[in-house]
Amino acid sequence: MFHWLEKHPFFFAVGVFLVISFAGLIEIVPNFAQASRPVIGTAPYSTLELAGRHVYIKNSCNACHSQLVRPFKSETDRYGHYSLSGEYAYDRPFLWGSKRTGPDLMRVGNYRTTDWHENHMKAPADVVPGSIMPAYTWMFTNLADINTAYAEQLTVAQFFSTPYNKPVPMKDGSTKVVAMGNNVTEANAMALEEAKLIAADMKDQDVKDAVANGQIPEIVALIAYMNSLK
Amino acid sequence: MNIAELQAYGYFALTAILVVVLYGYIYHLYSKREDANGHDYEEYSNIALKDDITDAPVSAISDDKEK
Amino acid sequence: MENRPLEYDYTVAKMFMLTTILLGIVGMLIGVILAFQLAFPEVNTILGSGLAEYTNFSRLRPLHTDAVIFGFTLSGIFATWYYVGQRVLKVSMAESGFLMFIGKLHFWLYLVGVVAVVVTLFMGITTSKEYAEFEWPIDIAIVVVWVLFGISLFGLIGIRREKSLYISVWYYIATFLGIAMLYLFNNMEIPTMLATAPDGSAVGGSWMHSVSMYAGTNDALVQWWYGHNAVAFGFTVPIVAMIYYFLPKESGQAIYSYKLSLLSFWGLMFVYLWAGGHHLLFSTVPDWMQTMGSIFSVILILPSWGSAINMLLTMKGEWQQVAASPLIKFMVLGSTFYMFSTLEGPIQAIKSVNAIAHFTDWIVGHVHDGVLGWVGFMIMAALYHMAPRVFKKEIYSKSLMATQFWIQTLGVVLYFTSMWIAGITQGMMWRAHDEFGNLAYSFIDTVTVLHPYYTIRGVGGLLYLVGFLMFAYNIYKTMTSGRKVEESELQNASPMGA
Repeated sequence: MFHWLEKHPFFFAVGVFLVISFAGLIEIVPNFAQASRPVIGTAPYSTLELAGRHVYIKNSCNACHSQLVRPFKSETDRYGHYSLSGEYAYDRPFLWGSKRTGPDLMRVGNYRTTDWHENHMKAPADVVPGSIMPAYTWMFTNLADINTAYAEQLTVAQFFSTPYNKPVPMKDGSTKVVAMGNNVTEANAMALEEAKLIAADMKDQDVKDAVANGQIPEIVALIAYMNSLK
Repeated sequence: MNIAELQAYGYFALTAILVVVLYGYIYHLYSKREDANGHDYEEYSNIALKDDITDAPVSAISDDKEK
Repeated sequence: MENRPLEYDYTVAKMFMLTTILLGIVGMLIGVILAFQLAFPEVNTILGSGLAEYTNFSRLRPLHTDAVIFGFTLSGIFATWYYVGQRVLKVSMAESGFLMFIGKLHFWLYLVGVVAVVVTLFMGITTSKEYAEFEWPIDIAIVVVWVLFGISLFGLIGIRREKSLYISVWYYIATFLGIAMLYLFNNMEIPTMLATAPDGSAVGGSWMHSVSMYAGTNDALVQWWYGHNAVAFGFTVPIVAMIYYFLPKESGQAIYSYKLSLLSFWGLMFVYLWAGGHHLLFSTVPDWMQTMGSIFSVILILPSWGSAINMLLTMKGEWQQVAASPLIKFMVLGSTFYMFSTLEGPIQAIKSVNAIAHFTDWIVGHVHDGVLGWVGFMIMAALYHMAPRVFKKEIYSKSLMATQFWIQTLGVVLYFTSMWIAGITQGMMWRAHDEFGNLAYSFIDTVTVLHPYYTIRGVGGLLYLVGFLMFAYNIYKTMTSGRKVEESELQNASPMGA
């Protein structure tokens, strides 16, 4: 039988495929239903936060920063509570990263402010002496892509029932509704309202002016996303 | 029976099957020096060593057709 | 020239040899730039602050990994397939106009894909998943390229004269199937351009953007099942295919045990896929998967070493060839590095070791002793062996090749030793507590301490790049000014000029 397989490429290929696929079949597929349930207190991203997440991805922040706190004392001391599976329920894609050239950002919203991020993104080594992080000055002029973020919100709401415009349970027993616009104009207006709150805490006059003129620079969206990481 | 239990049984059954198949293969390889076509397995190394287009194949497709 | 009725046709192999070298230079050059950016952050704005967006570390990093994996390595795999495939199946591509057409189409579409990848990654269009950064239109193009490779592969097998498939062909088939399965499942995504607003109006936004079908922990699980096994089917399986052909052929020695090679093939196929969980130790994936990942990683030593030892034993009684031929040096050191990194990997997969090693530079070091020492050396050796045969010329310079070997070996050693020290130093500092139970170091302390190691790593990488440029030059000179050789000189050891 074995020798026969070696001379019949098609059945050989089928054999190889069976052997290599069964690990995936047993290990991965059955768990899909279980792991994706959100924990209480996890809400979907707002339009602006999602646009900020796209900025984060566009600049491969995940190449140097993880978003995964492991259950060790040294990590919970440094970054906060260890990560729970359900906290990632709305993360498409996941952004755990594989290398911590810089610190973990899973709960950065708990201990860094808008003001801190603004200074840091402009000149990292001025805020953290010795830092090897490059400056991200172009984020202060490039505009965030709100339309794409909105399109993604619509897509996840439609295909994965992500609860936009629906009450989501929070830790203190209250509920929170993450609103999503009815059309792209409305979505942009809502994102701008959120951006104004961020810009109010910022010092860069160009960014403030842009937001006042109805534009949203990437840095504003990114900071909205950073602040949402808790 | 829940998913985890199914996974465990599936995992065990498939591992057992693969162990049997792999050991069967070892037995098959080392029990006989020759395969069904009368070739020693080690002769197949020559497929790489004598690979000029004018060299004769170790076991030619055309042998079958003549039979 | 002798009068021969039929010749192997290496047209497509030559094309892919060219991209192997070209994309190798690109990938390694970017790698060296990245290494120096970590040591000296000013390098991030090397082309001025106006272009900083395109020269900074984060934008270049996916370009480096993808240029090396999908540029250099994949081209090398294709180049060797279009060479080895014909020879071990004893059929020439000149015999089939159809396969020749498919082969050329395969190359040109691959090139289009490469250009699309480079442009989009520079623009920051990425899905963020490591080694699967490409957005959906490119994913579709890649699937088409892969299908063409499959047609070439099975088409050539279909018209073969040699009935039994040589072990290398097994590995090429496994490469094809493995990557196909992994790539498809990891890149399941929904383009967001399909969305319409609740009031029915159009949304606009980027047409290339897509959203992953999997969320959070599941996404991570699929990604690392992919990420780990892309290493299996990109950096291990096809490279083993190469060494099983090129080492015996170049040395004129039959494989030490053909049976062992068959056995380790099935062992590798079965075990490798289970080990992906070791990328996710202490994360939020279920514990049993993490444990499974650890255990299977350790078991993986057996089939890996089965192949590597088989290769080293092939040289039994012929070790003078290792001393005499720099080409065989590359392959023997390559399989030694293979043994070394397949031992290092399982050690890092042990949970208590992983607790220190994960997220640090030790992992980066591990990847590089595998890729620089094993994949890089083996592909260069394969191209060196192929060059005299496809160009019918003698290799331009043996001494240049020998110099290159030692420069690159030094480069690899500097690379992995510095990364070991950097990784373990940082891992230990992250977890250090003082006598009162507080963290002993702030994060930045654990970064600044790495400066010397980052510098040494940069130098190591630079040496490897210099060696690679010597390789490119040597192949170029072989092509243009090497001495013409007869078929009879090409039986085993490759002819080399001084």
